[in-house]
Amino acid sequence: MPAFLEIRDLVKVYPRGARALDSISLDIRKGEFVVLIGLSGSGKSTLLRCINRLVEPTSGRVIFEGTDVTLVNGRDLRQIRRRIGMIFQQFNLVRRSSVFANVLAGRLGYRSSWRTVASRPSREDVALAFENLERVGILEKAYARADALSGGQQQRVGIARALMQQPQLMLADEPVASLDPATSHSVMKYLEEINKTDGITVICSLHFLSLARRYATRVIALKDGKVAFDGKPADIDEERFKEIYGQEAIEVEIGPERSRPQPLSATEAALLALAQDTDVGRVSDR
Amino acid sequence: MAEYFVARGLPVPPELRRTPLTDWRRWSLIGATLAILYIGVRLLDIDLSRANPEYAGTRIISLLQWDLRILTPQNEFETFWDTAGGLMIITIFLGVVATAISIVFALPLAFLGARNIMTGNPVAAAIYGVARVLFTVMRSIDVLIVVIIFSVIFGLGSAAGVFGLAFHNIGVLGKLYSEAIEGIDPGPPEAITATGATRFQVVWAAVLPQIVNPFISFSIYRLDANVRLAPVLGFVGGGGIGQYLFQTINLFQYNKAGLIIFLIVITVAAMDFASAQIRKRLV
Ligand SMILES: Nc1ncnc2c1ncn2[C@@H]1O[C@H](COP(=O)(O)OP(=O)(O)OP(=O)(O)O)[C@@H](O)[C@H]1O
Ligand SMILES: [Mg+2]
Repeated sequence: MPAFLEIRDLVKVYPRGARALDSISLDIRKGEFVVLIGLSGSGKSTLLRCINRLVEPTSGRVIFEGTDVTLVNGRDLRQIRRRIGMIFQQFNLVRRSSVFANVLAGRLGYRSSWRTVASRPSREDVALAFENLERVGILEKAYARADALSGGQQQRVGIARALMQQPQLMLADEPVASLDPATSHSVMKYLEEINKTDGITVICSLHFLSLARRYATRVIALKDGKVAFDGKPADIDEERFKEIYGQEAIEVEIGPERSRPQPLSATEAALLALAQDTDVGRVSDR
Repeated sequence: MAEYFVARGLPVPPELRRTPLTDWRRWSLIGATLAILYIGVRLLDIDLSRANPEYAGTRIISLLQWDLRILTPQNEFETFWDTAGGLMIITIFLGVVATAISIVFALPLAFLGARNIMTGNPVAAAIYGVARVLFTVMRSIDVLIVVIIFSVIFGLGSAAGVFGLAFHNIGVLGKLYSEAIEGIDPGPPEAITATGATRFQVVWAAVLPQIVNPFISFSIYRLDANVRLAPVLGFVGGGGIGQYLFQTINLFQYNKAGLIIFLIVITVAAMDFASAQIRKRLV
């Protein structure tokens, strides 16, 4: 049986730039939670973006469920992208648009250009958007502007948007690098949840090895565009660590998990909304 | 002070090496500027002996003694639109229509002239280059010259004024719009591309929401500028109240000219106020 995602001799040389990927070969199996680690500049973002061709590989092949991604273009490429969700360090939401509009935009790959402009979103798409918002626990923020949300909430909107694609593979480029430790865990838990419940394969780059150890089923370390380690998180001992990060590096812990990062229950959400209601506050002040 | 650096084998900062008062570069720059200005003044041959204060005084007074008849139709052939007030309104619309035409053309062209939209293949890059050159050419020809050229094509009158003004503005707005597009956050378009959307859908969902505000404020800025310019266009054959003003000055009808100038000043001031208000609301 062919692998779910096959990467063969992948090379990326940026124009006037470094050799960001130097002949990478990997087989990713369905259902894995792969964490990519490596120093800044080791090629993590480039590797992730070569998989959905946001970055054009220089040579090599990327075979996703039997289709060579590097050979297709136009409509075929878009149909492959549709099956691969992606979330980003800076969340990449349209800041001025509502959370709901942002989530709905994840469905664009399923609509024609003409229908995007001329008709309202279908009933099914709207229902799916609400379902995904509820899943990541921000239903009550659906009509807020995206830039009114905290970082952790914005990343959850990013996950909901990617889920709209009903993807088989989720790419995450340092999804928690802009978040504090507790929020990082809450976001990682949603990724873990979609990996376990929906069987979506996850490839996620991270800066903290402790997060990798906690969530990964497999860790791949990149160094200067090459695979420096590929194995179980538990197998990264001190020696391996120094190989990947350099002799001077010391491993740091990221803070403890928050006890309850799950979405609020309906009652809790209602109580919270009440407590935040400024009008109520003003009346009692008088 | 310099010894500190010399003693430690460090390069001496230029601020310490030169004293401002004895720096020959500074003095030669000042000298060159003065020499150029001197040559300019000699070439211009500015001659004040021809000024006639007495004559000017009477003219200024007649500029202020407004001939109010031009505000109402004077014979059965004239309508309101032949009066100064009517012509002023026509001239305002000349600026408005020219702005509208230029927005309609500049909007799509601006996307073709934005580097971050036209990426991916050599054809797109070539279109980008053509669009940018087009903006520069259209912008660099002064409006008055464009209107003169257009008055050769369309004859004297509003057509030359409207199309000339619109032509110049396509260049100006095209450049402003496309720079606004180039300044957007590239994250959202990247994310929408990753969902499998078409280039058009990416622009629609991730680029447009980011540029509505700058587009509106650039458009208002140009509307303001165009309504200001419109009265002048008549001097070179662009129609509107400018043509009337030009005519009265040539016929030494200063009582009429003064009133027309006053109308123009009021219009420009009102426009200034209105556009400031609109922009304040937007931000
Ligand atoms: N657009 C680009 N043009 C030229 N060189 C680039 C470009 N993007 C990345 N590079 C180079 O490619 C190499 C790999 O970069 P990449 O962003 O993939 O690393 P990374 O592991 O994601 O780093 P970080 O942890 O800082 O995000 C680096 O040397 C970088 O300078
Ligand atoms: Mg990166």
